[in-house]
Amino acid sequence: MMKNKKGIKLRLILFGLLALGMIIVAIFADKFCPFDPLQQDLNSAYLAPDGVHIMGTDAYGRDMFSRIIMGARISIISTLSLVAIISIVGTIIGLVCGYFGGKIDMLVMRISDMFLAFPGLVFAIAIAAIMGGGVANAVVALALISWPKYARIARSQTLAVKNSTYVTAAVVIGDSHIRIMKNHILPNIWGPILVTAVLDIGTMLMELAGLSFLGLGAQPPVAEWGSMMSTGRSMLQTCPWVVLSPGLAIFISVIIFNLFGDSIRDAFDPKLNN
Amino acid sequence: MKYTCKRILQLIPILFAITFLSFAMMRLAGSDVIEQKMQNTGQVVSEAQLNAAREELGLDKPMITQYFVWLKNLLHGDMGVSYVSGKNVFDTFIEKLPATILLTVSSILLTIVISIPLGIISAVYQNKIIDYIIRLLSFIGNSMPNFFVALVLMYFLGIQLKLFPIISRGISIESLAMPTLTLAIAMSAKYMRQIRATILDELDKDYIIGAKARGVRFSVTLFMSVLRACLVTIITLLALSIGSLLGGTAIIESIFMWDGVGKMAVDAINMRDYPIIQAYVMWMAIIYVMVNLITDLSYRLLDPRIRLGDKSL
Amino acid sequence: MKKFIAMMLAAVLTASVFVGCGSTKEESDSADNGKKTLVFGDTTFNAENEEGNVNPHEAYCGWATIRYGIGETLFKFDDNMELTPWLAESYENVDDLTWKIKLKDNIVFSNNKVCDANAVKDCLEDLIAVHERAAGDLAIDSITADGLELTIKTTEPKPTLINYLCDPYGCIVDVAAGVNDGMVVGTGPFVATELVTDDHLNLVKNENYWNGDVKLDEITVLTISDGDTLAMALQSGDIDAAYGMAYASYPLFENDDYTFTSTATSRAFFLQMNYNSPIISDAAVREAIAMGINKEGFVNTLLNGYGYVGEGAFPDTFSFGGQKVQAKSYDPEKAKQILEDAGWVDSDGDGIREKDGKKLSINWISYPSRQELPLLAESAQASLKELGIDVQLNITADHGTIVAEKDGWDVYASAFVTCGIGDPMYFFNTHALESSVKNRGGYYNADLEELAKEMNSTCDADERSDIAIKMQQEIVDDDAFIFCSFLKMSMISKSNVTGLKACPCDYYEFTADLDIN
Repeated sequence: MMKNKKGIKLRLILFGLLALGMIIVAIFADKFCPFDPLQQDLNSAYLAPDGVHIMGTDAYGRDMFSRIIMGARISIISTLSLVAIISIVGTIIGLVCGYFGGKIDMLVMRISDMFLAFPGLVFAIAIAAIMGGGVANAVVALALISWPKYARIARSQTLAVKNSTYVTAAVVIGDSHIRIMKNHILPNIWGPILVTAVLDIGTMLMELAGLSFLGLGAQPPVAEWGSMMSTGRSMLQTCPWVVLSPGLAIFISVIIFNLFGDSIRDAFDPKLNN
Repeated sequence: MKYTCKRILQLIPILFAITFLSFAMMRLAGSDVIEQKMQNTGQVVSEAQLNAAREELGLDKPMITQYFVWLKNLLHGDMGVSYVSGKNVFDTFIEKLPATILLTVSSILLTIVISIPLGIISAVYQNKIIDYIIRLLSFIGNSMPNFFVALVLMYFLGIQLKLFPIISRGISIESLAMPTLTLAIAMSAKYMRQIRATILDELDKDYIIGAKARGVRFSVTLFMSVLRACLVTIITLLALSIGSLLGGTAIIESIFMWDGVGKMAVDAINMRDYPIIQAYVMWMAIIYVMVNLITDLSYRLLDPRIRLGDKSL
Repeated sequence: MKKFIAMMLAAVLTASVFVGCGSTKEESDSADNGKKTLVFGDTTFNAENEEGNVNPHEAYCGWATIRYGIGETLFKFDDNMELTPWLAESYENVDDLTWKIKLKDNIVFSNNKVCDANAVKDCLEDLIAVHERAAGDLAIDSITADGLELTIKTTEPKPTLINYLCDPYGCIVDVAAGVNDGMVVGTGPFVATELVTDDHLNLVKNENYWNGDVKLDEITVLTISDGDTLAMALQSGDIDAAYGMAYASYPLFENDDYTFTSTATSRAFFLQMNYNSPIISDAAVREAIAMGINKEGFVNTLLNGYGYVGEGAFPDTFSFGGQKVQAKSYDPEKAKQILEDAGWVDSDGDGIREKDGKKLSINWISYPSRQELPLLAESAQASLKELGIDVQLNITADHGTIVAEKDGWDVYASAFVTCGIGDPMYFFNTHALESSVKNRGGYYNADLEELAKEMNSTCDADERSDIAIKMQQEIVDDDAFIFCSFLKMSMISKSNVTGLKACPCDYYEFTADLDIN
């Protein structure tokens, strides 16, 4: 693909707009739904896609298209909040650890080692199992295992800029620790964290959907893509639209966020900026 | 050697942490083990009996004492019994582990078979049509959740073409095929991309350019040095992906009814069979840590650069 | 070093290519050496349904014992749910408390041991010693054995003793042979050889079967808890026959390649109300729920027509079932009016009614292993929302723990075979009386208790039938129980499978006649 600076910028804008579009649809989902996603009508169950129901209807006669749109709200918003939580919390922890060092650093890093010792999804499954179903619980489960990654990146970046002349200068002037971290360190380390966060959106979206597919995330009748696929599985052969629509919705959103992530990474990559 | 010892010593606190977390998780589950057990066996008991049973299991002692008691039992291979089947948890786990290991190993092998050639082709024909096709496939593979892939494969390969059985009956190569393929698709997508990048990187290096200039035959150079770089990349990726692979097997095993520890865990979650969940989480973590250690050590064996510069580690 | 690595790489590549190719040209390993083998998929044979093994003296495991042809009972039910002899030849009700049962003289266990009155006595004595439900049902005082004649004395008059002996727990097994990994020695056409709970059960032909020649040599019962996997497995030919197919998959098999065998059963899908809950103890709320559930829509659409709309506790195959009981019909407008009149109004405009500051929100508990239940829950949730009732679903395998507690739930939707032993009292004894084990909601109706007493001292079948209708009307009028539908039980098999026949009591599946061509 286009590797020059202009191409990268173009891609960034294009995919950025697409991602933004998805987020807007997610936030204002209720405005975009042609039907009430929870409204059942047993007389119009299992309708194949047509002019009225462009993605058909499910076993309860609910409009699939409306459910997919409504599902965007749950799937995308919970994914974005998950990524926001872990990147912000992880960054703060990493920043503080890197800046102060010493015992706190040791302790926090050992704790993060502990979480990193568990294979991600396995741990999330266990947490979700203990806390019971629900989107919020699934988000917490994934957040618990994902923050250490950000803490580590932020910490190593902080260590790298900590001894630079402008930080030393700020210390000499007598700036407070919080001010130094906020004004001098954070602006210099957020690039890689942002790139990681955006690239994480697709993965997290799939993992959340996976938990819901296992019945550990969103509970019926909530329209969530993973649980819609799970409950629609029996209709894969008779009414494939019930399973394929949420599957494609996941697929397309992951692709958009991944493309957006890639273009952000390229934009930040110093090698390509030369 | 010194490094190896150091790494193994570092393992001790991590193992303690894993076991403690697994133990604490069980307590956090909110339910009293004894009550849960009684309910699951359908017995009706008095409060006095409950207390007696608690005392017998040492549940009236402080948590840290309980932990060490539990740890001691663990070292004797005693992880309690399943609430549902009443069978020894450790035995059940060990019995089902080989199936999961087989699935994991076979999907890794299949991944290697798919991703190395495609990655090489993609790099060698950089920015040609074939490269774009491979990269597109890799992108698609990366963006599909594994349960979606599983359902699609089931539908086309299992029902339409009747190539493979839908459910696995015992461990056979036929029933291994679809779950392996499902897991390998997502992994290959990642690996192809990395291998391509590694090779492009490698081809750009001075010594390759030099070798070309000296007239060393291109294929020999390519084969010897580039493949080694590939191997290092793959091992790095393995260490990174083993975690998601172990989690992924849980979903895939239960879709394809593959009788491994992943399906066991999902079933146990549905039944609130906490001892089984606990065993699963703990052993998966231990396996994960061990695999990481091994890859780390073999990595150093393969790449002399890391061996020399490990002062910082 | 380089050489070593290159070689290693080559070796790994070769090995994996080998594995990769191996998977495509693998020949089928099910080498049939002239043996007739059937593979059966079942969604319900699992620990979750308290059916973790095939020992009839444990929980509900007897269902597996009897279904899979391992054990047999003294008498059995025919297609009209009438008693017919099985291991026994005849019975005689000597007086209120004494029963004489004569066994057939050619019965042997699969280990070739003779099944005489002594063996039956040992079996039943073990049963009532270890199985609480059986002990209560049978109320056996003493058993004496003499050759082929068995005399049972009960502690109280038990007009339905023989019916109870037909419950799956009444499978006669050789107690002396013991229980081996949850497997027992019975008299049936098949012998259990290997059992892995929640996975599979292997059966082989009983060479010593007393009642004719067994046609099949081997059967494997696979526990496939997932209905979709079951459907795909039957389509791909991994299994030959299936029990518990998802309704949504039925259309796939409605063709010449498959055979359906269906029958109306008394397995009811019903709601049980929790009188300990302040909201539910309001009669208007119960009535509104009863009127707010679209039973026809549920059966015709969500169950693809494979079911019967419920009125009372029993389907119309019984003289005391079907339309003889009048339940409230689906009438959302009237239900709204009832709630309105009772003071439940939506004052804050959120679509949910309130009364005295309390939201009309109910906790609906159910479980997923019966596929009808989540469908019922979700459709009821939507139709009750129309009435202004908020329904919180909790569909979990862990349902037992939740409903065992007094609060924390309002409505419990479950499936139960209400007339499994052909006796209407069975349902009331287990669910609706003050002393009932499964009267989870603390329901009490004095008239009902009176009728129950009357029933227990009545032996005439017609009179019993009349009382049964009155009793059903009581609980339906109270809206203590709402019967939504009855299962039309279907087994689907490939068309080359013969001798598989669904029966109304849902007990008998594998017989000596089961065959595959």
